[in-house]
Amino acid sequence: MSAPEVFPLSVGPITGHAFNADRSQVCVSLNSSDAQVMAYDGTGWKTTETLSEHDKLITSIDWAPNSNRIVTCSQDRNAYVWTQVPDPQTGELTWKPTLVLLRINRAATFVRWSPNEDKFAVASGARAIAICSFDEENNWWVSRLLKKPIRSTVLSIDWHPNNVLLAAGSADQKARVFSAFIKDVDKRPGPTVWGDKLPFNTICGEWSSPNGGWVHSVAFSPSGDAMAFVSHDSSISIIYPGGPGVITVKTTILPYVTLTWTSESSIVTAGHDCQPHVFQGSENGWAMVGSLDSSKGTHRHTGQRNQIEAFNRFRQADSRGSQGEEDTELLPTVHQNTITSVRAFDGSPDRVTRVSTSGVDGRLVLWDANAVGQPVGLAGKMAGLRM
Amino acid sequence: MSGTVDIPDDVKKSLRKFRFARRDAGSAALIVKINKAKLIMEEEEQFDSISLEDLSEELPENSPRFVLLSYELHHRDGRKSFPLVLINWAPSTCEIGMLTLHASSLIQFQNAADVSKVIEIRDGTESLTKEAIDAKLLV
Repeated sequence: MSAPEVFPLSVGPITGHAFNADRSQVCVSLNSSDAQVMAYDGTGWKTTETLSEHDKLITSIDWAPNSNRIVTCSQDRNAYVWTQVPDPQTGELTWKPTLVLLRINRAATFVRWSPNEDKFAVASGARAIAICSFDEENNWWVSRLLKKPIRSTVLSIDWHPNNVLLAAGSADQKARVFSAFIKDVDKRPGPTVWGDKLPFNTICGEWSSPNGGWVHSVAFSPSGDAMAFVSHDSSISIIYPGGPGVITVKTTILPYVTLTWTSESSIVTAGHDCQPHVFQGSENGWAMVGSLDSSKGTHRHTGQRNQIEAFNRFRQADSRGSQGEEDTELLPTVHQNTITSVRAFDGSPDRVTRVSTSGVDGRLVLWDANAVGQPVGLAGKMAGLRM
Repeated sequence: MSGTVDIPDDVKKSLRKFRFARRDAGSAALIVKINKAKLIMEEEEQFDSISLEDLSEELPENSPRFVLLSYELHHRDGRKSFPLVLINWAPSTCEIGMLTLHASSLIQFQNAADVSKVIEIRDGTESLTKEAIDAKLLV
């Protein structure tokens, strides 16, 4: 079990992060309209290049590992695809942007490359998802919009391994699976548990969050036969269309906003509770098994029992009317604020060994995905919770 | 009249031949594209008898085209006529430079082909249907 590696990148929030293929570089957006490409120099991450083209806040970044292209999307309703080319004057490799006109009239919220890296999908506040592919004839990225039946901002998307199906979580409290088949880019996909014969914008399924809450994040399992989503009603649901249907786990923890599968039977989620939690299960049922954050003595709370719920801490402050006896400037968790993004870092998709998280506290942390901490402390706290 | 895009003589000859060809049945189509590099029009493809669904499959999704269509029109009183129609195929996903070039040369092409009726198709494959064309032509 290795301890998490913590990299404080900035004082403000990190709005998005993406590693390159060999994990030697990371592209981050530090709550600004510029993205920074950082390289690891042995001790920390240092900025090597600034990607400056967007007019407004960059909301999401993705780095395609095989074709080495970065896509960034922003509140300015545009997306840029960055490719590394030699600079004409100096001959060094620099990142050159290509504008992609998404034809949306609201901010873009989330972007992901497809598994074959020939398309990418951009979620937006325009109640649409833009599927962008490159048109060779015109040397131009073409975007087609998935609109029906989305009724509100799309918050998160994930691609199925077959490069055609797309899961989307939206603020209209629904998680959906669409077909994003583009005629000249995709070959006709084989049948899956989600359906077959799927023209563009077919809905393969639509699921509501159990108690009504924005669906913050969606993800397909490594095989693509299951899909999980987390929503603001503090629940996680796993969909097995070929099997039992929907399995829901309702928690009393602060809502999760991001998740990733670390194997076919385990998921790492993170969110407003400031620590990554691990869920394990199968078609027979899912349950939380613990947290990746077992920090006990790293902050001033040495000796005190592991208070791993921020919710509990605020409840105490409310009932006592004070902030507590010790120095309460720091949360006992590694992250000091909401974790907004968790991504696989090391290992194959069906056996992820490490995950990376970034959050509102400006920290980038690498976790050992198998270092599941004692759920005991958690259960003890939860037993004491009264609503 | 001069413009940015030239129509070469062989294209003009094709247009005339298409216009005067005798038709008995079926809709015929002549697809013309603009060569952006050389700034001239080129004949891309010609179909002697094609349904509208097949035609919309043939047309590119993301590039503008001019389609000269000799359409088999069935009037309500049973007559069959073959009017010459120009379809301005300009999907909104096209690259902007191409769309502008295409739009600016529309009048010139219309005069060269000597066609009075122009139908605009801006949405792509879904809009090019028999019902849509019939609605525009059967006044």
